[in-house]
Amino acid sequence: MIRNTKCECGHQNPVGTVLCEACGKPLDEELAASDSVLEMRYDGMARRSQKPHPNPVDRVWNFFSSVRVAVWLIVITLAAAALGTVFPQESAFVNLTDPAAYYRENYGTIGAVYHALGLSRTFESWWFITLMVMIGASLVICSLDRVLPLYRALTRQQVRKHLQFITRQQVVYVGPIQGDAEAWTARFAEILSRKRYKVRTDGNALLAEKNRFSRWGPYVIHIGLIVFLLAVLMRGVIPGWYMDEYVGLDDGEIEQIPRTGYFVKSLGFRIDFYSDDELPEHLKGQLRVKQFTTKAVLYECVAYCDDATREPELKEVAAHDIRVNSPLSYRGLRLYQYDFAEAPRLISVRPTLVDKRTGQSYGPFELPMRHPPLTYSVGPFTLELRDSFPEFGLDENGEPVTLSREPNAPAFVFVIKGPGLPEEGVPYLYFPREADRQRFGQDRINGAAAEMFDIRVMSMEDVEFSTYTSYLNVRVDRGMPYVWTGAAITMIGLVMGIYWNHRRIWLRIDDGVLSLGAHTNKNRFGLRAEVAAALAKAGIEVDAKMLDNRRKES
Amino acid sequence: MTDWLQISSNAVIVAFFLYCFSFIAYAVAVGGSRFANREPEAHRRRWGNIGLWLAAAGWAAHLVYFFARWAGAGHIPVSNLYEFLMALGIAMMLAFFVIRFAYRHPLLGAFALPLTIIIVAYASVFPSEVQPLVPALNSIWLRLHVTTAVLGEAFFAVGFTAALILILRVTDFSRTDKAGRRARFWAEFTLVVIVIVIGFLVAVFGFRAAGYHAEFRQETVTVDARGNVIEQESTVEYGLPPIFKPYNSETVSMDPFLGMTEPLFETPSWMNGVNAGRKWNTVVWSVIVGLLLYGLLRLIIRKPLARAIQPALDGIDPDDLDEISYRAIAIGFPLFTLGALVFAMIWAQIAWSRFWGWDPKEVWALITWLFYSAYLHLRLSRGWHGIRSAWLAVIGFLIVMFTLIGVNLLIAGLHSYAGVS
Repeated sequence: MIRNTKCECGHQNPVGTVLCEACGKPLDEELAASDSVLEMRYDGMARRSQKPHPNPVDRVWNFFSSVRVAVWLIVITLAAAALGTVFPQESAFVNLTDPAAYYRENYGTIGAVYHALGLSRTFESWWFITLMVMIGASLVICSLDRVLPLYRALTRQQVRKHLQFITRQQVVYVGPIQGDAEAWTARFAEILSRKRYKVRTDGNALLAEKNRFSRWGPYVIHIGLIVFLLAVLMRGVIPGWYMDEYVGLDDGEIEQIPRTGYFVKSLGFRIDFYSDDELPEHLKGQLRVKQFTTKAVLYECVAYCDDATREPELKEVAAHDIRVNSPLSYRGLRLYQYDFAEAPRLISVRPTLVDKRTGQSYGPFELPMRHPPLTYSVGPFTLELRDSFPEFGLDENGEPVTLSREPNAPAFVFVIKGPGLPEEGVPYLYFPREADRQRFGQDRINGAAAEMFDIRVMSMEDVEFSTYTSYLNVRVDRGMPYVWTGAAITMIGLVMGIYWNHRRIWLRIDDGVLSLGAHTNKNRFGLRAEVAAALAKAGIEVDAKMLDNRRKES
Repeated sequence: MTDWLQISSNAVIVAFFLYCFSFIAYAVAVGGSRFANREPEAHRRRWGNIGLWLAAAGWAAHLVYFFARWAGAGHIPVSNLYEFLMALGIAMMLAFFVIRFAYRHPLLGAFALPLTIIIVAYASVFPSEVQPLVPALNSIWLRLHVTTAVLGEAFFAVGFTAALILILRVTDFSRTDKAGRRARFWAEFTLVVIVIVIGFLVAVFGFRAAGYHAEFRQETVTVDARGNVIEQESTVEYGLPPIFKPYNSETVSMDPFLGMTEPLFETPSWMNGVNAGRKWNTVVWSVIVGLLLYGLLRLIIRKPLARAIQPALDGIDPDDLDEISYRAIAIGFPLFTLGALVFAMIWAQIAWSRFWGWDPKEVWALITWLFYSAYLHLRLSRGWHGIRSAWLAVIGFLIVMFTLIGVNLLIAGLHSYAGVS
């Protein structure tokens, strides 16, 4: 059926229009015949989603432009998110080797089902991300579908409206007035201007409007959310936008930050505790952590970065005391205090070489655990470093290997050369830690060499060690400026749309009878009070509540 | 420092009693209007004003609590559940005053005050000792995050209050069809839930006043992320008589109660959160005491509570309530967005190196936000007004309370207020 969309005022309206774009008369015959309060959404304009004979693209458009669909998407997302909090997500664990077993053993059958359904990875799951993308599509399409008709409606408003349009608003007053209609209208226009309305008159008809900008609030919110969602999506997609690495540093240690040309050095990790006078009575004498601090220096590699044969050349670029809530920040790279471990580790030792044959001691010499030099001259002897094992261990064939790069059980193989020794030198295995020396049997391994030499630390002053290992979290997140921009736009839209409201007042005077209608998208209370006050100034005393159109019906 | 804290804890007691008196004045305003000799309208205004002044005085005392504690502790008191709930109570009163003066509605206080009283009493269930801040909490963003979020939630609470009055006001007790019976059931059910919350408070404070104590030794077996089995023995202390003892535990000591010298049941094994046994036992006690209270009330007034309250609400316009509820939620929504999401994200970015980590508390803040955005869409675009919108406001407030308290008690996470001994 093709409906006649031409209004009696002569305006040709697009199909789907509810209220004539020009005069506001209800176009639907059934609607015109009733006297219910008019639905003023988008001022009754036709929307793209109401096009007749939709093609497949239109159907997709129509689906996403529906607020009903949008609300369902919100509710489904909400329910899915709630399910995702029933048990801890897998991402909450650092080392989860067998997730299925973990959930089964800790949460029983329900846990096993939870894991099998993929709910333990809800927030990374394809279906949750799909929901997010659908919400994004809904945000865009809902907004476009409505903002354009609304913009058109609000920018071409006609002052003189159909009588039905006026008397079927939420707030209505109809009553006789005395005197000249145009003069009355002009005086009322003056009253409304003082209430900061923008007023237009057309003879004895009037249109007053304020805070129209608040109508754009919802669309600004949606733009903000889209920017936010896109930023979050981008950081996962664009290479180099996102990095999440961890670096463990002993005091004085320097480490390369994985996948970057930066190096970070710890000048020391410190734990501060609350002093007794900072603590309340019942906690005095207890150790309460106040702050964790890693004094850090950031270096950038400027030369020989990828050259395995040479030490890279570093330039200091930033220094900061990294604390919880105070990361080091340099050109988008951020280093956060993440964790620490109380793991005493050697930084360097200053051992002495004892020649058992003569009883003479030489040294001490400096032996750092990380990056030790290759030769040492101690008295008449030369020590050449053949091999080093940060964490000494034996493999299944009994061959020495290192179990990790951390100096947990350091061992060094020297070749000692010098007077009275064979030309090729004497190999000697050295464990700086006394415990390792015993455990692995240093003297037994060294055999004859142990008869000739001993390398040992003479006093604790010759040992430098780090009590803690500080773990830093290194982040690059180039999407953050966009995330914050999106959040800021959303907040601006919320404030615009919610703390202000769009108010319009129409009136016309026909044969000495004033018909006034007013509409707002929010806060009818305020509008009623404002209209009542304006009418009172014009000499018409009326109770604000009596202006409510729905009240009169009932 | 100690002086300040002393002033602070005295101020809470003053505030609590002033709130109670204010509530009584409001109750007289609502309930007494038909019995008073004077004009009902004048009676309401008079007692409503008395209630308002008492509430204002109570709020002043509540603010004294807040700032004295701030001075005494050296940091803004929003860092454990006690302080947080107190802040929520203060914010709820502020939101109530804003809405009260925007709409000049004399009777809103009759429902807003009991809610505040419950929150303040509930706060006192938790340990109120000042705790030094753990490093992560020592941030300006924490202060902004919590205070703004709490203010938003307080407006949601006022929206809930108006919605509840609306529900009680429009429930039709003459209808006998299915929909009518269902409406009556749910209105009454909501009141029963509130009575159970009061039952919880009565049980906790009653047994606390009586100094009740029971202790259990519980053995728990967990499997860590690497598959190692960890057996732990811990002591669980009860302040309520153990109807349910912890799973896999033995009694160390137990005060007898009404001839009960041994726990009656054992908590099922699948309730395996932190202190699950104690929490479950408390829930059971709350329901028992709540239902007893409810039964007593029914015996006294001899009709459903909703039906007893309704006549007092006669003079209130349902449209006004609908508008008040909606406006309160609308005012709260941007504040909640800013405080619970934006400021929270900024803080998380600085403290934990990521602005969002799907931590349970974060997820539930998002759920709250999604729910209220659905509420606004349904209302603005799909015309859900009146009773439907009121029920959404009630459900929304339940979600808010779960986010604030339920998550902390049931689901552990970053917001478990570490450092509370």
